[in-house]
Amino acid sequence: MNLNIDAIKDQTYDAIVIGSGVTGGWAAKELTEKGLKVLMLEKGKNLEHVTGYENAMKDPWETQYNGRLTVALKESHPKLSRDYPFNELSQNYWMNDSDSLYKEEKRFDWFRPDIVGGKSIMWGRQSYRLSDIDFEANAKEGIAVDWPIRYKDLAPWYSYVEKHAGISGEKLGLPQLPDSEFLPPFEMYCVEKEVRTRIEKNFPGRTMTIGRVANLSEAQKAQLGVGRAACQRRNKCALGCPYGAYFSTQSCTLPPAMKTGRLTLRPDSVVKEVMYDENKKKATGVRIVDAKTMETKEYYAKIIFVCASALGSTAVLLNSTSNRFPNGLGNDSEQLGHNLMDHHFRIGASGDWEGDLDKYYYGRRPTGIYVPRYRNLNGEKRDYLRGFGYQGGGSRGGWNRSVNELSFGADLKNELVRPGEWRMNLGGFGETLPYYENKMYLHKTEKDKWGNPLVVFDAELKENEHKMRKDMMNDAIEMLEKAGLKNVTGSDRKSYLGMAIHEMGTARMGRDPKTSVLNGNNQMHDVKNVFVTDGACMTSASCVNPSLTYMALTARAADFAVKELKKKNI
Amino acid sequence: MDRREAIQRVTLMLGGVMSAPLLAGAMGQAIYGGESIRPTVDQASLIAEVADIIIPTTDTPGAKAAGVEQFIIRVMRDCYEKPDQEKFFGGLAKLDADSKAKFKKGFADLSLQQKNIMIQDATVYNKDFFVRMRELTITGYFISEIGATQALAYLPIPGRFDGCIPLEKDQKTWAL
Repeated sequence: MNLNIDAIKDQTYDAIVIGSGVTGGWAAKELTEKGLKVLMLEKGKNLEHVTGYENAMKDPWETQYNGRLTVALKESHPKLSRDYPFNELSQNYWMNDSDSLYKEEKRFDWFRPDIVGGKSIMWGRQSYRLSDIDFEANAKEGIAVDWPIRYKDLAPWYSYVEKHAGISGEKLGLPQLPDSEFLPPFEMYCVEKEVRTRIEKNFPGRTMTIGRVANLSEAQKAQLGVGRAACQRRNKCALGCPYGAYFSTQSCTLPPAMKTGRLTLRPDSVVKEVMYDENKKKATGVRIVDAKTMETKEYYAKIIFVCASALGSTAVLLNSTSNRFPNGLGNDSEQLGHNLMDHHFRIGASGDWEGDLDKYYYGRRPTGIYVPRYRNLNGEKRDYLRGFGYQGGGSRGGWNRSVNELSFGADLKNELVRPGEWRMNLGGFGETLPYYENKMYLHKTEKDKWGNPLVVFDAELKENEHKMRKDMMNDAIEMLEKAGLKNVTGSDRKSYLGMAIHEMGTARMGRDPKTSVLNGNNQMHDVKNVFVTDGACMTSASCVNPSLTYMALTARAADFAVKELKKKNI
Repeated sequence: MDRREAIQRVTLMLGGVMSAPLLAGAMGQAIYGGESIRPTVDQASLIAEVADIIIPTTDTPGAKAAGVEQFIIRVMRDCYEKPDQEKFFGGLAKLDADSKAKFKKGFADLSLQQKNIMIQDATVYNKDFFVRMRELTITGYFISEIGATQALAYLPIPGRFDGCIPLEKDQKTWAL
C-alpha cells in the first residue's frame, strides 16, 4: 500500500471553500446539502456559537473600560483603532494589526476578522436587494462592463436565502429597491413616523422605511429548525448573539452544513494559493499554512469556492501564480485587483425634534431607518451618475447625552436619570463607480508572518462621488428641515475606502473573458472549477448594503457548480 | 457638536444605535505611551469624594457608594497617555491645595457644603480637571451596578420592542 496515495486521499474532498464568513458559510451549506464532501478553510481561530461570545451577556459593570481602548491596544492596533468597530469588547474578533500588515499608497481601512464566521459575526445586518436599475446601469451609461446577469436571474435566489436567513422589513413595491421575503418589520419611533409622513408629503418619490435587517423579528419554522430564537431586542448583535437571532455563519449556515456530516471545518488555516494543473487546465486544490504550527499543507478537490472576502480572495488569486497564469489565477483579463469599490458615507445631517416629550420606547431595536435611493431615477439627471440611500433614525437623549458641561450634584443627576429630548439623523450611503485605476496589488518583496505578500491599496473617491456627496449632505438637511426638525446641521466626516467595510469589485463578473474575471455564474472564465462569490465578483456597487446579494449569488453559484459537476463539465 | 455627539451621529448614520459601552470605546484619547501613574490610597479616596459631589446620593446611592473611583482610576491608568494622567492628578492635587487655602483643611475633611463650594470653584479655576472628572464620573456611575439598576431603568433582555409608547410618569432613562 502506498502511504502517499493514502495521505492524498485523506486530504481530498469534493469541494474546498476558502473562508467561513457570509459567503463561505452559504457555500458550505449548499454544497454539503447537495451531497458534496466539503472542506471549509478559515484563517482565523474557531469561535463556538453561543459559548464563544464571551462579552455578549456582560453587564456594563463587568467590563474593564466600558468599551474604551487602552493605550496599549491603540499602540498595537494603529490602523484598526482608527474607527469604532474595534473596541474593548470586540477586540478578539479582529486580526492584530501586527499580523494584518498592508500598505497604503492611499489611506485604506481594512477590517479583517480573525474568527470562524468572519464578518458575519460583526456585520451591520442591513439587507437589501439590488434591482435592474443597478444591473443595467453600467451598460446604459457605458461604465466599466455590463453585468452578465439581470434581476430575474437572481430574484429566486434572493427569496431562497431570505427564507432561510430571515430578513425583517416592510414591503414598499419600489422598482429601485425590490421587496424581500419579509419577517414583520421593527417599529418606528414616533418621531420617525411623523418625519416619514412629512418627507412623503414634501418630496414626491421619496419615502422612509424601517431598515431591512437580518434579525429575526419573529422566528419561523425555517429558523427554529436550525436552533435559532427570536431577537430579544438587546442590540448587542456585533458581540455575537447567544440566541442566534441574526444571520451569521454560526447561527444560520454552519448548523445545517454540519448536520449533513459532510463538512470538515478547519480554522487556523491561512491559504497561500490555489494550485493549478496546466495539463488538466483545472485547479487541483489549495495550499495552506497552519497558523499555529506554521506547517504547509495541501488539500485537493474537484471544485474550489473562493469566499475569503473581496480583498482576501483577490489576494489569494493574485498569489496563485503558474506558467499559465503568471499574474494570478484566472487573470487573463488583467482585471484582478482592479475596479476596487466600497460605499462612501459618513455624511448627512441631524436635528432636534421639539416634541414627543411624552413618548418613549421599550427595548432596543437592532436597526435604524432607511431612505431608499431617489436620485437619478425616472429621467432625472444630476451632475453625477447613480445615487445613494440614507440610514439613520430617531433617538431620545440618554444618560450620556450632552448637558451643561459645568453642572454637577443633585441637579445633574436628576436631569440625567430622566430621558432627554428627541433627535433625528440621516447618513448617506453612496454608490462608488468601478474605476480600473482603483486597485489593490501584491507587494513584490514584503511578506506577512505566514509568507504571503503584503497587499497594497491604491484607491480613492473621485469626481462622481464628490459631486454626489454634495447632494448627500444638502438633501439630508433639506428633508430634515422640511420634516420640522430644528437646529439642523450637516456634517461631512470624510470617507476613506474600506471604512464602510463593503469592499467589492476586484474579480468582477462580466460577459467577456477579455474584460472580466468571472462569468454570470461566478465561475472563472479561465479556470472552470473555481468560483468566487464574495464581494470581489461585483461589477458595480449599487448603493445598498451588499451582503444579501453575496448570499444569493453564492447559493446560485453552488447550484450551478454541482449541476456542472454532475454533467462532468468541470 | 462635541465629540460624543459626533460619534453618536455617525453611528446612527451606520444604521445602528451605539450602546453606551461602544460609544465610550469610540471616544478613546490620543496616545503617547509611558509608565502609568499609580495613585496612592489617599488619592483614590479623594477621587471617590470628588465623584460623590458630582453624583451625590439622592433618592438613590451616589458615586462613592457605587465605587466609581475604581473605574476612574483604571481608565485613567490604562486608557490615557502619561501627560493626560499628569494633568489629571495635578488637577486633583490643586483641588486639595485650594481647599487648604480656602478652608484650612484638605478636601476630604471638608463639610458637604464646603466641598460643593470647592467643586463650584473648580468649574472656573480648575476647569480641565473638573470637566474630565465629571465625564469619568458620569460614565463610571451610570455603568455601575448601582447607577444602572437603581438610578436608571435597567433592561438587559427586553424581549420586545415598542417604538412609540406613552412615557410613564416616573419613567427613568434606560441604562442601555
